Amino acid sequence: MAALVTFQDVCKYYHMGDSTVVAADHISFEIERGEFTAIVGSSGSGKSTCMNIIGCLDVPSEGTYFLSGQDVGQMNKNQLAEVRNEMLGFIFQQYNLLPKLNLLENVEIPLMYAGVPRGERRERALAALEQVGLGDKLRHKPMELSGGQQQRVSIARALVGKPAVILADEPTGALDSRTGREVLSMLQDLHSSGHTVVLITHDNSIAVQAQRIIRLEDGHVVYDGPADAPEAVVTPRAADMRGREHT
Amino acid sequence: MRITESFSLALKNIASSKVRTLLTMLGIIIGVAAVIVIVGLGNGLENYIADSFSSMGTNTLTVTVQSRGATRTMEVEDMYEIVEAHPQELELCSPTVSMMGGVKIGSETASASVSGVSEDYNDIYGYAIAQGRGLQYSDVASRAKVCVIGAYVNQAYFGGKAVGQTLRVGGQALSIVGVLEQREDSMNEGGSDDCLYLPYSTAARLGGSRVSSYVVTMVDEERIEQSQAVLEQALTDFFGSDDYYTIITMSELLDTMTGMINILVGVLAGIAAISLVVGGIGIMNIMLVSVTERTREIGVRKSLGAKERTIMEQFVIEAAVTSALGGLIGIALGYLLSAAATAVVARLMGEALAVAPTLFAVVMAFGISAGIGVLFGYLPAKKAARLNPIDALHYD
Repeated sequence: MAALVTFQDVCKYYHMGDSTVVAADHISFEIERGEFTAIVGSSGSGKSTCMNIIGCLDVPSEGTYFLSGQDVGQMNKNQLAEVRNEMLGFIFQQYNLLPKLNLLENVEIPLMYAGVPRGERRERALAALEQVGLGDKLRHKPMELSGGQQQRVSIARALVGKPAVILADEPTGALDSRTGREVLSMLQDLHSSGHTVVLITHDNSIAVQAQRIIRLEDGHVVYDGPADAPEAVVTPRAADMRGREHT
Repeated sequence: MRITESFSLALKNIASSKVRTLLTMLGIIIGVAAVIVIVGLGNGLENYIADSFSSMGTNTLTVTVQSRGATRTMEVEDMYEIVEAHPQELELCSPTVSMMGGVKIGSETASASVSGVSEDYNDIYGYAIAQGRGLQYSDVASRAKVCVIGAYVNQAYFGGKAVGQTLRVGGQALSIVGVLEQREDSMNEGGSDDCLYLPYSTAARLGGSRVSSYVVTMVDEERIEQSQAVLEQALTDFFGSDDYYTIITMSELLDTMTGMINILVGVLAGIAAISLVVGGIGIMNIMLVSVTERTREIGVRKSLGAKERTIMEQFVIEAAVTSALGGLIGIALGYLLSAAATAVVARLMGEALAVAPTLFAVVMAFGISAGIGVLFGYLPAKKAARLNPIDALHYD
């Protein structure tokens, strides 16, 4: 069976006035079902571009992206929306909950767009909120919750549609280190229960919580391997310098 | 996503910003209320005029003769002959000579309308005599200096005891031989009870003019057109041409008046409808602001699987619901103002003129306001639907 996520020479160009910015330059990798992968890089490395393409918010300029065997680059906007709804669960740095809706309604949104009937929707949203430990705050508005709790709601929202890939974009970026750790351990729990999790971060200490690291720099993959290997957290430039010391 | 869910979503959003929604709706509210009141006023005016006309009798034909240039001049006797020659269609006839003002009672000048008529006039219009007697054939034949007055003149100038007294019309003293029964519920100066009738022969001599206007009754009200045709034929035969007379039926006159009122109401309602358009632009403006404010929400919804059509639907429905809600409030306000206007008219004029909104106007006003919501919500909704989800997600 083919990999869940397949990048084949994916390139992404942005036109800024006269100049063209290369945000992704022939990036190739595969992510299998059940993997916990961190895509790491500093700003401008192309990790956001990767996340947008994996999340079907954007399509490659060149190369191909297969999600569960489907060529996303060939899809129209409606098909992309359907794929986002069915296959992907997003967790954002800023939580991105809708402030006017209560927690239950927030978690129901993906199911609503999927056309799930009201009763079933309510049940599934309730189950997802209970899974993240917020079963007692269903009628609260997001603003009445702490940052960590809000991020748990957004995890529930990401889970509720039973997506193939959970995509977490700097999920701990707005949290203090303790609640950040809680959220990370929640992601690890999801992984151990069989979910495919892709974590996008600039922070090595967070990236190492994953099983595998894909490191990007200037639109290239500079490392792709296990998170516990020493090279995983070392930038190539540092490796170069170390190499020079040895000679 | 089902359409009912779009509606409940729209209501939720509207409920969460009440003041803004109310201000947005204001243009629609005012426009709808104005249209309803104006159409109601026109409708009331039309009913009022129709009532007044039917009290004047709808079985009458009014003939005006312009003898100038004709080879024959028509005398009163000629007209009577024509009427008598067609007993199947035509019944009674009275010349009418209108005189302008000039009624003096003692040293006071009265405003009563003065008409010279025949002895049949009271029968033609069904006027009853309250005191004294009506005009008689002998009064007409002898050009008697007598008159019959309306109940208002009797009350206002003679304390209810006018019979036997005199007044002056155009300098000529006339003795009052009778008083008509009160016709209106409340008598007013210038109303139907403020009137004076004298023999047409007397009036023609006072005014120094030939009788040129007649009122003729029909035997059968259902055969207006045949009766009118018979009279026309007779008059054409008399003059040898149809250029020298006009026949007006009350129903024609009513149609003419109604037509004029309708034009007036149409113009006024059109002006009021402009405020509906202005209201629609207000809704568009607020929706555009709302789309900008909710860019992030739109990004989130798109990332969670909302299609362009779904986002579009959400915003169009929100605009339509806002507008339709404004329409409903406007309808309520319109009814309230109509009731108030009816009360004010009753107090000021003492006339029973009911400002009655028509169902048609109400349905139209509601339909147009909902339509305006859809129309002016479309552009902002399109803008929302087209937002790029990546940009929208990172919008602050």
